[in-house]
Amino acid sequence: MKYKNFSKIQLILIHTLVLLHLFLINTTVWAKKPVIVTTYQYIAGITEQITGNSATVIALAPPQFDPHYIVPKPSYIAKLRNANLLIINGAQLEIGWLPQLIRQANNPAIITGTKGFLDLSNFVKKIDVPTALSRAMGDVHPEGNPHFYLDPHTIPVLAKAIYERLCTIVPENYNLYSKNYTTFIEKFNARLTVWDAQMTKVKGKSAIEYHKIYDYLLIRYGIHLAGTIEPVSGIPPASKHIAKLENTIYTVSFILQDVYHPYDAAQYLSQKFSIPVIVLPHDVGATSDANDIFSLFDAIVGRITQ
Amino acid sequence: MKQVMQIVYMLFFISLLLQKGFPQTMADEPLSDPFSQAKFVPDIAAIVDVTYVQRSLEDFTHYGIPGFKDADSKTSDHENHEDELNQNNGFNLNYAEISFYSQVDPFFDMFAVLHASTEGAEIEEAYFTTQQLPFGFKIKGGKFLSSIGRLNDKHAHYWDFADLPLVYKAFFGSQLNEIGIQLDWIVPLPFYVLLGAEALRGENETSFGTNGFTVENITTIDDANKSNVYTAFVKSSFDISNFTVLAGASGIYGTSRIDHGIGNDTKVAGDHGFYGKTYMAIGDITIRYDFNSYQYIYLQTEYIYRNQDGDLYSYDGSINSKSNFDAKQSGLYTQVVARLNQLWRIGLRYDLLAQNDVNTHHHLTNNLPRYSSMIEYNPSEFSRFRLQYNYDKSLYSESGTNKPNHEIIVQANITIGAHGAHSF
Repeated sequence: MKYKNFSKIQLILIHTLVLLHLFLINTTVWAKKPVIVTTYQYIAGITEQITGNSATVIALAPPQFDPHYIVPKPSYIAKLRNANLLIINGAQLEIGWLPQLIRQANNPAIITGTKGFLDLSNFVKKIDVPTALSRAMGDVHPEGNPHFYLDPHTIPVLAKAIYERLCTIVPENYNLYSKNYTTFIEKFNARLTVWDAQMTKVKGKSAIEYHKIYDYLLIRYGIHLAGTIEPVSGIPPASKHIAKLENTIYTVSFILQDVYHPYDAAQYLSQKFSIPVIVLPHDVGATSDANDIFSLFDAIVGRITQ
Repeated sequence: MKQVMQIVYMLFFISLLLQKGFPQTMADEPLSDPFSQAKFVPDIAAIVDVTYVQRSLEDFTHYGIPGFKDADSKTSDHENHEDELNQNNGFNLNYAEISFYSQVDPFFDMFAVLHASTEGAEIEEAYFTTQQLPFGFKIKGGKFLSSIGRLNDKHAHYWDFADLPLVYKAFFGSQLNEIGIQLDWIVPLPFYVLLGAEALRGENETSFGTNGFTVENITTIDDANKSNVYTAFVKSSFDISNFTVLAGASGIYGTSRIDHGIGNDTKVAGDHGFYGKTYMAIGDITIRYDFNSYQYIYLQTEYIYRNQDGDLYSYDGSINSKSNFDAKQSGLYTQVVARLNQLWRIGLRYDLLAQNDVNTHHHLTNNLPRYSSMIEYNPSEFSRFRLQYNYDKSLYSESGTNKPNHEIIVQANITIGAHGAHSF
């Protein structure tokens, strides 16, 4: 028993050091395949098109949940801790759940302002940028409406930003990323012409939505927004507000419902005025037919033009 | 002398007349403000907490919890200089909390919270954390709520009830809030494991204390001259579909210098003091299920154990004496909170101080429960109204009789400004 030569404290120290060493080796093994964490599924969907299998791409927010109110689970800290690149939607969509997680992850590579942190909202011109701010207007986004990615024409813009950042983070994969990016853009642009043609069917129509989430899509395809079910952003509707909506509803062709807000107000209006409720996915995976970045828009265009 | 002053005044007014009127501006050029730092204003928030309290025990501050808190009006004065919440029957302004947060430079960020009452303000937390340490390490330094347990590092406005669980009141007075340093490490594993350790000043007067005292004719206990309390903790979490489980274990070790009147010149019979070692262990588990974005239910339970071992000094009215003191005490709380929809939350809490083995006081009760329920209305994320009912059976009068306390608390908690997101 050689161990007898060591004191208990020495033994504990040696064991801790061995364990620590093993962990550090582990991290370097994982680091071989870059880890890219995205806040939402659609960002992972674009990123995977460019990286292929050369990276581990992890999306944090479950797609059936309200993107504003994601539960900041501690398991996300473990994912962020090992990330080489964090890609967020930005424009304050993640403000309610992400900042604290980044602080807790103890990962200097993904701090705001570093090259391991990519904010997609910087590459898009936002609508509804408020000129005055007060929380009397509800949960306002001071940088404008953050749901820009639901206009399919912004996807190539976002893909370019992601592609360029990937090349800075993992320059040795430049050729692979360039090839994948070019293929993706070609494929996506081909789908865009199909979607644009299909969407002419609904041009000039009028719609109601629960939250101002589909605005970029509506503006792109000339659909008029007649009102929202929530009175102001983030505040659930009371019956008084629904009654007010009824005054404008005679012009409305459909009610757009996301998957995470309660359906009762939309169903009430739908039955009373026999206007169809169309459930639209807001993210990859939100509905079963939206399982990648292409089928997300296939589903949106298909459901809205049916 | 007066004449000199008159001349000085006159010179002053003459000098004002000599000013050249308005400075010349460059009307054609855009206004330049090269030294403005307005954009560097940190995130500032103010949180106000107001309650209306109705309780059946009107002089409840004179009651104690046997083995944990002495039952008399005197000790409650100097034991809690951090003002306790909901003290008065009727209206209470519990606190106005003003918080500041900002990045310092590429290496650190800083957070500070001032806890203000109508009496004055004190620093609740003021600390910096590192952001550039490699291998998943982080250091926090300053005054902060220790990361032991589940609830200890949560600010009052984030609690699920208007008051703290009994175990926190019994063992920490409120929370373990200390000046010191913390090191934590996110272990590089596919799931969440956090290891942490702290060295703290240990001013907490309920379990530790840094001020020495003199026991006449027996001994003098010196003030603590270094960090007095050490903690270590591990937290881990995993998800199974919409279930989230978070579990933690913490240990605390420190030196206690607790003077309940024995060091006073005007001591009376029954005054005492303790000097010795205190060991504590905390186990906690939270299980949460999210039905969707707006509905969840969770169960949270925390168990705290304390062993105090050392010398008890007592004054019997004529002389001081010293005896061996050994106390093993523990308790727990369990709470279930559910969010029914975006507006409403409800919760139930069961508190119990369950173990009360103190060698100098035999036959202390092992069963000190409290039952709480609450219902909450949240018009938005920034305003909350809560109605809480407590049935407290832990309170004993100075003569040793147990008086049940019924308590109704109506609470308004309002936030303005830039207040950061909360952790899980």
